[in-house]
Amino acid sequence: MEKMKKMKKPIVFCVVVIVTFVFTGMAFAAEAIKVGHTVSLTGGASMWGQSEANAVDMLVEKLNAEGGILGRPIAIVRYDNRNDAIESVNVARRLAGDKVIAVIGPAQSGNSIATAPILERAEIPMIVTTATNPYVTLDQKTEKVRPYAFRPCFIDPFQGTVAARFAVDRLNAKKAAILYDVGSDYGQWLSKYFEDAFAARGGEVVAKEAFRSEELDYRAQLGKIKELAPDVFFIPTSQKEAALAARQARDLGITAVLLGTDNWGSPDLIDLGGDAVDGAYFVNLADLDDPDIQSFVAEYRERFKGDPVLPNPIMAQDALIMIAEAAKAAGSFDGPKLAEALANLKDVRVTSGVLTVDPADHNPLNKPAVIQKVDVTKKSFVFVEKYQGE
Amino acid sequence: MFLQTLVTGLSIGGIYSLMAVGYSLIFSILSFSNFAHGAVIMLGAYIGLALATQLHWGLGLVVSGSVLGAGVLSVFNERVAYSVLRRRRAPSLFLMISAMGCSVFLENMVYATIGSRFYAFPEFFKREVVSVWGSSLSLLDVFAFTVSIGAIFALHLFVTRTKTGIAIRAGVNDMTMCSLMGVNTDRLISIVFFLAGAFAGVAGVFLGIKYLVYPTMGWVTNKAYIAAVIGGLGSLPGALVGGLILGVLETLVSTYLSSVLRDVFSFTMLIALLIWLPNGLMGRDTEEKI
Repeated sequence: MEKMKKMKKPIVFCVVVIVTFVFTGMAFAAEAIKVGHTVSLTGGASMWGQSEANAVDMLVEKLNAEGGILGRPIAIVRYDNRNDAIESVNVARRLAGDKVIAVIGPAQSGNSIATAPILERAEIPMIVTTATNPYVTLDQKTEKVRPYAFRPCFIDPFQGTVAARFAVDRLNAKKAAILYDVGSDYGQWLSKYFEDAFAARGGEVVAKEAFRSEELDYRAQLGKIKELAPDVFFIPTSQKEAALAARQARDLGITAVLLGTDNWGSPDLIDLGGDAVDGAYFVNLADLDDPDIQSFVAEYRERFKGDPVLPNPIMAQDALIMIAEAAKAAGSFDGPKLAEALANLKDVRVTSGVLTVDPADHNPLNKPAVIQKVDVTKKSFVFVEKYQGE
Repeated sequence: MFLQTLVTGLSIGGIYSLMAVGYSLIFSILSFSNFAHGAVIMLGAYIGLALATQLHWGLGLVVSGSVLGAGVLSVFNERVAYSVLRRRRAPSLFLMISAMGCSVFLENMVYATIGSRFYAFPEFFKREVVSVWGSSLSLLDVFAFTVSIGAIFALHLFVTRTKTGIAIRAGVNDMTMCSLMGVNTDRLISIVFFLAGAFAGVAGVFLGIKYLVYPTMGWVTNKAYIAAVIGGLGSLPGALVGGLILGVLETLVSTYLSSVLRDVFSFTMLIALLIWLPNGLMGRDTEEKI
């Protein structure tokens, strides 16, 4: 029995807790203010998460060297949410207990929607990094804005529209097929927005197939799609599912142009998808060649000896700058005052450009989207076109 | 369309069968469901991946290396986690709980050491599409299916035609009597675990090539477990037939009903079978199915 007990003991999960205190000479006497960071350091989204953490640490050092926020140094309280909604809720509770002034993250819509009510009750503003679902900042039942939820990224109706516009205008597509993850808010809503926008532009969605999260084989669904011979094949999933779907689609002889969304934008899309993803297009939040972010990219490369995994590092820096600027405007770290100042941010210089928050829905105004093309031989995403916000 | 569905179903079913064999082998001799099997498959995939990407071995060597590695790991797993319980004559429920613990332990070990990112095997097969009666199938599928069926057949021959195989079958019937007859049961059990591990190695490499390699890839063995139950836990031909049936039925459900209902269907089938046909199609009568 002794042995049994030992084995049943819960395994120590790799929850990484890092608290960074960086004191500058002038601020050593002031107590640090705590900013929470909920991020996927492990799990399927860890590539972005790790890069996001790097970028935040980099910016914290810089801000602290300049005197911190309102004369107080920033300390990041970071917990791993493992890209899991339940774990995100746990992390949010811990952050509320830690009395952070604001929270950066999570990066995913599902996790953000799970996190929002908890931080709202604790009156702690959250600024999600890349969660693009509209219901991150709006309450789905009442359609009212959530007073403590903000974001620096564009939202899915815009992203879905951009994908549909590109499919119709540039790819001359008449028929589209969709494959999405039924267990993800992100995929479900994006398929709907794409379908609506594509239909509004005269196209027809001939097949809309779903799969369950964690499923690996889509050939049953793809067999149906093949029969209907679409011109474009829209896959609003993360890079893993996209790579698998692309490989299996090509194996079945589907020749449609593949079209994806911002979750594709991970360097391992090419490693995982190989030839099958060559020539595919996807919508992204940021491009490594965007002139606006060159100083950030250079700084990151020098410090971490590699490219940042976009767009999360940029969006997380934007989030931290938003918090700092709002605190300055409010002259206080008090939750409700900070949230009010966040809602009224205007023309703030952030890493990705200039940002103005729409007080009505807490989304940024005029956030552009880029279309990138996957080039397997060069192992890169090539900039194709930039769509301005509407 | 129907043929395409059938062909796809068989190719998915072939992999299910390969994984189900591991469950059935161990169930047949120790009467418990070794839920660590999925984790051994995952480790087999990582071993294969290391051989393919670090040492640049060919497919044959990669599969052999993975078979050997996963086999040894499986024996090691038995020695560390199960043999003590077995000697203490603990109920099979304890063994199953221990197996679940091992599975979580191994997954998290991989998370902590190798990390959570996804890996793909180098492409052993050109992305070539084979036409079977007008439906498309990749070269890999044909190869994987052939090897799966071949391996299961070889195992069948081993169990029925060799002295060790006969000892295993005797052990399946009555372990105590078997040991009274002078069979070294510890050695016998190790051989069974090695065989199950070897199959996990093949399955791991195929899964890795077909899909991706990552710490929770063993999740798909849930399906293999259902396949083993359909065929009758403990029966080798049952594992083969169960895998193919499940693969085809699932694909039919996804194609003609709804892909979202697929797992609802599979797991309903599991529950229904356990209620009405607990011995599956080819299983022998036992009281406990854990």
